[in-house]
Amino acid sequence: MYEIFSHPELRRYKTSIFSKATLLMLAILILTFIPPLLIVYRSYGFWLREATYREQPRVAFKKEFILILDLQNGQNPVVYSTFQHYNQLVQSYLRIPVVKAREEDINGDGKYDSLSLDIDVPMNAADQVVGVKLVLFFYYKLRRFSQFHMESLGYIDYSSSVPGGSLQVFSDLRLRQKQLLGYRGTDTRYNNTLVDPASPYAETYSLASIFKAYSSRNVTTLLQDPMKIWSAGRAGDSPFRVSVLVNYPEEVISYTPGFWYLIKWGWVQYVSVLLIFLYIFNKVKVFVFQHQVVATVVETPITSSLGRKDKFS
Amino acid sequence: MQATGLIPARFLTIIAHLVLVIVILWTRDENIKMSLAEEYSQSEFDQKNTEFIVALSITLGLFAVELIGFVGGVTMFMSFQGLLSTAAHSAAAIALSYFLFDQWPCEWYWYIFGFCSALPAITEAVYIIGILCFRKGF
Repeated sequence: MYEIFSHPELRRYKTSIFSKATLLMLAILILTFIPPLLIVYRSYGFWLREATYREQPRVAFKKEFILILDLQNGQNPVVYSTFQHYNQLVQSYLRIPVVKAREEDINGDGKYDSLSLDIDVPMNAADQVVGVKLVLFFYYKLRRFSQFHMESLGYIDYSSSVPGGSLQVFSDLRLRQKQLLGYRGTDTRYNNTLVDPASPYAETYSLASIFKAYSSRNVTTLLQDPMKIWSAGRAGDSPFRVSVLVNYPEEVISYTPGFWYLIKWGWVQYVSVLLIFLYIFNKVKVFVFQHQVVATVVETPITSSLGRKDKFS
Repeated sequence: MQATGLIPARFLTIIAHLVLVIVILWTRDENIKMSLAEEYSQSEFDQKNTEFIVALSITLGLFAVELIGFVGGVTMFMSFQGLLSTAAHSAAAIALSYFLFDQWPCEWYWYIFGFCSALPAITEAVYIIGILCFRKGF
């Protein structure tokens, strides 16, 4: 003989509203649903306040820059910028270079991946260049979560005791966040231009005031770990060349996740502990009611047909 | 059907709770320090110390009441009191383990005392008086 089939039989326990059994059941319900919440909350990480995602930003070179070349022996610096008013203010130091800028989209995904910039500044034979300061302006856009548009800077700075003929810089444009970004909406806090091209005041174009405003921002970009090559010595009249290669890599961006993301992961944590408690207290309930620790009316399938008109349910 | 599995469970949880209370009685310094400010004076320490010792001693007294009722056989077979006692003492055992390892401040002990020592002892006392004086359960 073997067991061919089995199915559960239901035993019902009934009681009135005001009884020890109801009180016990209430206590068990509280003990089943509240402790998992306490456990999950007190073990940290219940609300995920920070999450990260990867995105390649849309970067475009604004075709604006400020170039300052420092000359040896305390001579006046050589200055050039793409701002007409500034050029008029520093007329005596101005030299007009030949500028070539090219942005490339290497993998064809519609976003630029690198910038090649070549600046050839005409020089006299007596000029000895010992330092370069170059500020580049970019448009920076992130799209996936919040629509984040900003205008940002890249700053290259090099000085040497040996006069040189060219500076080559290779670097990446990296995002620097001091604050989490949002998960929706448009964020154009930093979309205002750092240098107003219509302003005739020297104050606007000074590097100090630009950097002061820039460093107070919570989200900025910077040219990280640039590799610089300074070639010493320059032949007589040949121009001073500044070559910059800036890559726009994919970034890991930290943001505050949205409401349903938080709820989803909080629910997962809660339910996984709740299942254990439900199992344990189910065993407790079976023990309590089966052994009649509290008095209830027991109704088995046999006794359920007592007192009914038809005995088939 | 008598819930005879409840009796060893009740005994084990009472003993576990008792052992934890005795251990806490011996190593109560950290708990007292957690409830004082960083800079404390010896008199503040002594005051908290006395308060804590009083709490633990009352707990031991209530244990005596409950053990007399249980081991003496008075309420050994009362299943509802058995269930209540088991639940209260197991909750106390868990809470006191946290109390000991996470070094909770000694004020929080009063809550554990209220729910897990005083409650079963009071119901135990009520049952004992009921049985001895009013012949309940006979």
